[in-house]
Amino acid sequence: MGKIIVMTSGKGGVGKTTSSAAFATGLALRGFKTVVIDFDVGLRNLDLVMGCERRVVFDFINVINGEAKLNQALIKDKRIDNLYILPTSQTRDKDALTKEGVEKVLNELSKEFDYILCDSPAGIERGALMSLYFADHAIIVTNPEVSSVRDSDRILGVLNSKSRRAERGEEPVTQQLLLTRYDPERVERGEMLKVDDVLEILAIPLLGVIPESQAVLRASNVGMPVILDEHSNAGQAYIDAVGRFLGEDLEHRFVSVPKKGLFSRLLRRTA
Amino acid sequence: MSIFSFFRSAPRPSAVQAKERLQIVMAHERAGRSGPDYLPMLQQELLAVIAKYIDIDQNKVEVKLDRGGDCSTLELNIELPAREAAKALKEAAKAAVGKANGGAAADDDESSDSVKMAAGGALTNGGIKKRR
Ligand SMILES: Nc1ncnc2c1ncn2[C@@H]1O[C@H](COP(=O)(O)OP(=O)(O)OP(=O)(O)O)[C@@H](O)[C@H]1O
Ligand SMILES: [Mg+2]
Repeated sequence: MGKIIVMTSGKGGVGKTTSSAAFATGLALRGFKTVVIDFDVGLRNLDLVMGCERRVVFDFINVINGEAKLNQALIKDKRIDNLYILPTSQTRDKDALTKEGVEKVLNELSKEFDYILCDSPAGIERGALMSLYFADHAIIVTNPEVSSVRDSDRILGVLNSKSRRAERGEEPVTQQLLLTRYDPERVERGEMLKVDDVLEILAIPLLGVIPESQAVLRASNVGMPVILDEHSNAGQAYIDAVGRFLGEDLEHRFVSVPKKGLFSRLLRRTA
Repeated sequence: MSIFSFFRSAPRPSAVQAKERLQIVMAHERAGRSGPDYLPMLQQELLAVIAKYIDIDQNKVEVKLDRGGDCSTLELNIELPAREAAKALKEAAKAAVGKANGGAAADDDESSDSVKMAAGGALTNGGIKKRR
């Protein structure tokens, strides 16, 4: 039976899709058969970030409506074995996501896949609710910024009351924090919330800290999950986060400004 | 810009790739926005025709699409139950080529017989430049 992970945040634009693409790729690189599903019906974007936008034929909604078979809608990644993408519809709206339909698709996927990663849309409406309802694990994507932290707290509340596990009184959905777009220099200058501040407020375990990085935009430009850019800080931070998700005990990197001499600091400014 | 950069064969900047990818995918999306989503229907009708001749497993039908700037290809891959059936379909495909303006090609592989039908350029053409 596959495990269902939801990448969620409440707030929009914090890095859910970037993180979903990276995480799914990272799990597949570790040998797990992984599928990543776009729940952002009407605003399809995961296909672009994964670089398979030209190959979308059928989508999640076609499968829910019985217009296509699941294996016709799944797109196999061209770079990584074990990695599949289930794109969403660009033309329908979120009402197309029925609980029964989503459940049927997830059940079918969980027979074949080790991990099913759900990329949630922003908000706490139907799309977001459907993406988290069946989850076993939730990764809460948060930026070190007041409204994002508050929205994350709101989503934690939803997970604890409206998920299937909550409704059935089962063991709760596990919740881990992925703090993204972290800028240690601004933290040092006192302009940005510290990791510890966010952890204190949200009180969930820390899965990883992804630094603000120019590599993220470059990666999405070319349709490559940033985790494949192994030289970038963000790529390495995602590799570590996947390791921690799988139970490894890894020290957090990229959380403080590297100690450097004055000269290299000056150089770095122009780099 | 330094004069030396002329001699370095720099890789295409990622922003250029971003723009090209967007132009292709959005030209297709804008073109399809007005009409109905024809792919599911197209598939059902094609399968219905094939099913008239051969008993096919709906789960063994693979539909692949590659959207390009000037031309897109739709590839329908159907795994057939038996070698005889493949022959029957080849006949049907040949007959179809005579009438239609598309292209049909059949090929065998060792484990199973599969028939590919490719319609190049027929589905869509024109990049974003052709739009007003
Ligand atoms: N670590 C990072 N460093 C720099 N930019 C980032 C980082 N993570 C994400 N971004 C940028 O933030 C923007 C939003 O990212 P993304 O689309 O992944 O967010 P999202 O949460 O999925 O958004 P939505 O709520 O609209 O679905 C993108 O432009 C992306 O390139
Ligand atoms: Mg998104």
